Amino acid sequence: MKRKIYLTLLHLLSFTLLIAQENITLSGRVNAEDGTPLPGVSVSVIGSNKRTGTSTDAQGMYHLSVPPGTQLSFSIIGYVTQTIAVTKENTPLDVTLKLGQADLEEVVVVGYGTQKKANLTGAVDQVGKEVFENRPLPSTTRGLQGTIPNLNIRMTDGKPTRTSTYNVRGTTSIGAGGSALVLIDGVPGDPDLLNPNDIESVSVLKDAASAAIYGARGSFGVVLITTKNPSKEQTSITYASGYSRNDQTIRPDLVTEGYPWAKTFNDAFSSWNDYSADPQKANSVFPWSQGYLEELRKRYEAGNTPSVDIDPATGNYIYYGSTDWLKELYADHTPSMEQQLSFTGGGKKTSFYLSGRYNNQGGIFRYNPDKFNQYNIRGKGSIQATDWLRIENDMTYNERGYFTPILNHASNTPVWRRISDEAFPVAMLRNPDGTLTDNASIVFGSFISGNNHWDESRRQARNTTRLFTNFFDNKLTVNGDFTFDKTFFNRTRLYTPVPYSTAPDVFLERGINKMNEQIDNTTYLALNTYAQYTNQFNKHHLSALLGYNYERSKLVRRYMERDNLINPSLPDFSLIDGQNFTLTGGGNEWLTAGGFYRISYDYEGKYLLETNGRLDGSSKFPNGQQWGFFPSLSGGWRLSEEPFWQNGLKNIIGELKLRASYGSLGNGNIDPYQFLETMNVTKSGLVLGGITPNYTSNPGVIPDGLTWEKATTINLGTDFSVINNKLSTTFDWYVRKTTNMFTVGLPLPAIFGTAVPKGNYADLKTYGWELSVTWRDQIKTTKPIHYDLRFTLADSRAFITRFNNPLNLITTYYEGQRVGDIWGFVNDGYFIDEQDIKNHADQSLIRVSAANNPLPGDIKFKDLNQDGIIDQGTKTLGDPGDQTIIGNTSLRYQFGFNANFSWNNFFVNSFFQGVGKRDFMPAADNSLFWGPYNRPYSWHPTYVVDNMWSEENPDTYFPRLRGYTALNANGELTFNQTQYIQNAAYIRLKNITIGYNLPKNLLSKIGVDRVSVYFTGQNLWTWSPMFKHNPNMDPENIERADPELNSDAGQGMAYPILKTYTLGINLTL
Amino acid sequence: MNKLFLIITIAVLTSCQKSFELYPPDKLSPANAFKTEKDLQLYANSFYNDLPKGNDIVRGDQTSDYLVGSTIDSYLSGSYSADQAGGWSWTTLRNINYFLEQINQAEIPEEAQLHFQGLARFFRAYFYFNKVKQFGNVPWQETTLAIDDPDLYKTQDPRDFVMGKVREDLDFACANIREAIDPTSSNITRQVALAYKSRICLFEGTYRKYHEELKLTASANEWLQEAADAAKRVIDAKKYQLNVESDPTMSFRNLFINEQPKTNEIMLAAVNNASLRVLNDANWYWTSATYGRRLSFTKTFINTFLNADGSRFTDQTSYNKIPFWNEVKNRDLRLQQTIRMGNYQREGQAAPPDFTYTYTGYMPYKFTLDSKKTDGIAENNNSLPLMRYAEVLLNYAEAMAELGNFTDTEWNLTIKPLRERAGVANALMPTAADEYLKQEYFPSISSPSLLEIRRERGNELAMEGFRYDDLMRWKLGGLLLKPYMGLYVPAMNTPYDLNEDGKNDVSFVTATPSNPEKSIVYFVINGTQHYLTEQASGNIIAQNNLKRVFNESFMYLRPIPTNELTLNPNLKQNFGWEAK
Repeated sequence: MKRKIYLTLLHLLSFTLLIAQENITLSGRVNAEDGTPLPGVSVSVIGSNKRTGTSTDAQGMYHLSVPPGTQLSFSIIGYVTQTIAVTKENTPLDVTLKLGQADLEEVVVVGYGTQKKANLTGAVDQVGKEVFENRPLPSTTRGLQGTIPNLNIRMTDGKPTRTSTYNVRGTTSIGAGGSALVLIDGVPGDPDLLNPNDIESVSVLKDAASAAIYGARGSFGVVLITTKNPSKEQTSITYASGYSRNDQTIRPDLVTEGYPWAKTFNDAFSSWNDYSADPQKANSVFPWSQGYLEELRKRYEAGNTPSVDIDPATGNYIYYGSTDWLKELYADHTPSMEQQLSFTGGGKKTSFYLSGRYNNQGGIFRYNPDKFNQYNIRGKGSIQATDWLRIENDMTYNERGYFTPILNHASNTPVWRRISDEAFPVAMLRNPDGTLTDNASIVFGSFISGNNHWDESRRQARNTTRLFTNFFDNKLTVNGDFTFDKTFFNRTRLYTPVPYSTAPDVFLERGINKMNEQIDNTTYLALNTYAQYTNQFNKHHLSALLGYNYERSKLVRRYMERDNLINPSLPDFSLIDGQNFTLTGGGNEWLTAGGFYRISYDYEGKYLLETNGRLDGSSKFPNGQQWGFFPSLSGGWRLSEEPFWQNGLKNIIGELKLRASYGSLGNGNIDPYQFLETMNVTKSGLVLGGITPNYTSNPGVIPDGLTWEKATTINLGTDFSVINNKLSTTFDWYVRKTTNMFTVGLPLPAIFGTAVPKGNYADLKTYGWELSVTWRDQIKTTKPIHYDLRFTLADSRAFITRFNNPLNLITTYYEGQRVGDIWGFVNDGYFIDEQDIKNHADQSLIRVSAANNPLPGDIKFKDLNQDGIIDQGTKTLGDPGDQTIIGNTSLRYQFGFNANFSWNNFFVNSFFQGVGKRDFMPAADNSLFWGPYNRPYSWHPTYVVDNMWSEENPDTYFPRLRGYTALNANGELTFNQTQYIQNAAYIRLKNITIGYNLPKNLLSKIGVDRVSVYFTGQNLWTWSPMFKHNPNMDPENIERADPELNSDAGQGMAYPILKTYTLGINLTL
Repeated sequence: MNKLFLIITIAVLTSCQKSFELYPPDKLSPANAFKTEKDLQLYANSFYNDLPKGNDIVRGDQTSDYLVGSTIDSYLSGSYSADQAGGWSWTTLRNINYFLEQINQAEIPEEAQLHFQGLARFFRAYFYFNKVKQFGNVPWQETTLAIDDPDLYKTQDPRDFVMGKVREDLDFACANIREAIDPTSSNITRQVALAYKSRICLFEGTYRKYHEELKLTASANEWLQEAADAAKRVIDAKKYQLNVESDPTMSFRNLFINEQPKTNEIMLAAVNNASLRVLNDANWYWTSATYGRRLSFTKTFINTFLNADGSRFTDQTSYNKIPFWNEVKNRDLRLQQTIRMGNYQREGQAAPPDFTYTYTGYMPYKFTLDSKKTDGIAENNNSLPLMRYAEVLLNYAEAMAELGNFTDTEWNLTIKPLRERAGVANALMPTAADEYLKQEYFPSISSPSLLEIRRERGNELAMEGFRYDDLMRWKLGGLLLKPYMGLYVPAMNTPYDLNEDGKNDVSFVTATPSNPEKSIVYFVINGTQHYLTEQASGNIIAQNNLKRVFNESFMYLRPIPTNELTLNPNLKQNFGWEAK
């Protein structure tokens, strides 16, 4: 046996020697165009199963020994990569690399094909795989945020499952709505189920001309995600691993000491009640009296006293705590990790790509923490069956699961909201005997007791088979693909009562006892076939594409719920026996089909002309309106290719192209069945005859004579590059008119008795532009520093040009309105004294207290219309009372900035992202901003408490302390007003990576091609002008509460945004 | 090349195969929703959504003369205008009319057809009654409207016409709804329809009688007679009776605190059920200092409860100066089943009136459960009555009295059994008018029996959502401005034991003392919000800083919302509301 092994080894050795004998010893110099030697150029061998390579030295020289016929690749950032075959003749092999035109040579993915960037006439932008590299991401969407100008992705909190719609170029439609169509390898898909590391490129088709080939679903842009292809004639194994620690970007600075909190609470309550009533309870269960407050003060002043006592009268516990509830809620920090492995390789006729990834993120919570898990597997292979036919198959399986503890609350209040309502510093988490307190049981006692959770998973299995054929010397290609996709969504929610105690040996339980489960099962089919003919006639180049697309999707849904688990730790429907149960079905189905074309023509590569179009049908529209035809036209002129440009100008502006496009697309982004008279069957909330029966009721009035919404875009753009192409710039300006939007009809008298049917009643105009500037260069030192910078900036503004609002109410859309405008009052400081209150306009519609008796320190508003009364008038444009436009909520000037450096074997990549302008008016019930001005017993942010008006200190940011004024109807802080509008612009260091590539000569000895180690930080630094007065909110988490739980539970009541520190390693064999 | 053909063929085939017309799998359409009796029942279940739910009954009387709370209804604030007006919703009507238009599709026996039509028309009458109550004249509509129907823009029909239509609907319902008694007290049966008819006709009859400005007084008696007849039919049918239990102190209370309605008396209930999780928030609403309105009865009203011996509490001297723990003794048993007093206990602990949330001391607990479990959560499972036999008796009595046909026979049939159940001895028809009732509430009524009937209605139906409507129909909106009188405070800064259990419960003070005693509630009487009638002692006058306005000349009818007048210029604003 042993002998055999030795023999084999010997055999192998001699074989290797045999090959070695035939190697060519190669050397040469790599120069830049100006003749200076280029050090640090990577010289790698393509086509061997092991990458053996080297890099040039300080003199630009390299030495290598390779077999003849080897393909050598010479690459360095900022230069066009060259590939040269080695023969015996061409040694020494000197190479000259061309500077920086990579940008123009770049091939960009467009609808049903690719184009050279130089030949583009539409507004298309693309980023490569580098945006996802060395950066552990729970989802593709999070990784794409901010990378492409005017691809607007808003992640409203830090939840690992958070997703966002892909908006292209601002407000799309106020009617049917509409976001960009997201295609993965040409087929619609959920980008968040995708392994970000499988992505080769992401391309965004922004204008109507480039999106028209996708017809009605591309009306508001298309995002094309292309996955990595197998590499040919080269095999490699890549392993990547990263371990992260996550912290919250912002931990609110709140008052956590018992007595100071209690004092403010007492004051806020009593001030709302005109200083004539004191609280009797702190919200729902915590007893309160002036005697208790007094006792608290004594203990606080005396220092160290026991925090729990027993009330001799009732026998109940009394708490004198100083609890930091957020510290109890959150774990000290959150770990996460990612592991991935991929294989790629191939021969002359076959190739394959196989990748797998596992990542997880531990919970932020201390008790029963949440957990996010994701698995991705992709297998892609292709066979060149004949010289004209290639078959490819691409199969993926993706799974993401998220487990999170929830409150025992059928309304699914987010935990933060409940803490701000019921977790007072004076209250405590546990009693001396270890049981939970009453307050704890309604806050996050359910996290501690367990068996209260939300567990969901989404699983997708997808297979795409593609055929590629070519005829007549590649002049005609015919391609087809067929996709089958099955997606399962499953969500279980479990609620079981929470034990607590209010007195020694009193054991109570609180809460609902039930389980529910939702199962969605989606089956999806897609088929694409398209043929392309390309030919060159002298200086005329023509390409024509014709194709057909068919898609069908069917969702089947089941929902079940039942009360009364027999045993809370055995959550199974077989072990639940309550009488209250729900079992519902449902689902929907849609199909679309369309024929499309593209004809592009250019003359000498100077004059470019293209038309795209599609005849599109959708089942979502009523009979007679199901088909629409959407054409577009675009053209370009490459001035820099003109003879008159060639001499002087070419040296300054190496490349200049002007582009223009026009197109009009229908909007098919609507829900199915909108045009049918349907009657819902719903479970009644009443007990009739001993049961809660189902009921149905009259159908809504359906619109007639409907037609498609239409989005018409004019786009003007230019691409140019200067300074030896080191600086390249793309700029696009556009106007998009969305017409015939599907909005509410003219209001009818209420006696109509049902919702007024919608119709094509509104128009909108969106203006915007986007800019990207890229600079690539190197700093010449002995070992040069290569760097590239990319800056992107985008903006858009939308105006309503038609809307059914004859009264011009400012509480809804009106003609001429800029979308996002905030109407509000203008502040005029605080009341100084009685006289001031008397002399001021009548402000009695604005409440400062229960009996509404204003005092010095209460807010004074300007009487803009000088009518002696502060009011909102008729809330119309003609009579807005004392309101004026005081801001706009739109996100303006969204920007991104990339800076990448490499030196020797070190590299630093950084990415900043932000918003240049945005107004944010903290809404009523925003506890993080308003503190005790909201609910008196709410959170008391230190900033708020330190900046409250007082007679001694009247120049503060917040007025006289008045509880409920930021909550109760017409409270002085519930109105939009200039003083409290926040400038929510921000800049954030989304990502910074510092890495080191281990030297090749070291690695080649151990048979490894590449090893890099890196440190990545995400969201490490943020600055916002908002922090001045609102330091407790993350600018990316200022909107609604967690939408899966209850989006109306107050701003910022959502999963915190995380900052992440990662150590990782990448290894290639 | 063959393969190319194959691909194209597959493509074309798939496209033709499927039609573009897809229907939702989980919804009905008008073509298949009105075929069988089961279909009609499924639809008719939607009508019940218009009835008050548990939570509505819990809040039924929050706007009334005899309850004081932390705030007042915005309608009485003085700044109420047509801009804030509500109640002008017509979706329920469309739902009913749509049903009546489609019901002919059903292939079922005529009796069943008529039954379901009767149900729909009952709910239409109920709907219009609520509209007329609020707005007086309203447009009558018995078909569904298309978006271009000119009737969308018609003006209001006169009250007389609309109520005539309501009576037609009620008569049809009482003739055609099935007679069978519902053992769950949750469905509209013929008896329930008759009971509602008595309520609606009594409302209309008295409204016409006392609101002379309508110039409909001539028809008042006709409506009163209809009310009496309908009520009498229910009485004569003998299907219902007053609930009497072995423990007389529970006969009344058990009507309100049980999950299973007492179906002997309760004809229709808002049924709540813990296992089906249909629940109300009575405990939370009535025992929280912040969640509810902290409502309490006024002493003026509590004074109207008779003594147990049948004599009038207010006939004794200084009846306003009797301390709480004494005044509540030996009264009509309904008093101790309506407010906390004496030895009331919760979970084994004494539960005297709690001045952390009562302003007067007369703390209602009619709808609340003795267990504290649901004090902070909307999980009360007690079913609350929508229509009880006691009301039918009171409707009959009042209608007969207003007609002038009230004799000992009617007394013995109606008020006497109600008083007997409440443990009131000597429940004879009085011969002299009660001066207290006249002075405090009904100065224009001289009939001794009518005054007693109104007293009885107040005591029996307190909190159940009748009071505001009663004041409107009697044209006594001014009572809503009555000062809120509370219990008698013998002295300030003195702890009192309200339930005589040996522990002091409350002390009335001008300011919280610096060293408060933990178990005592300090109720601050500062002279502005609350004051005492004789400064250092006397009855509490609570919430005196709550401004209230009720303009007798026009506030009996609510304003039509401003924007509805804009949308339909033919609608006329109700008198008095135009300028605002």
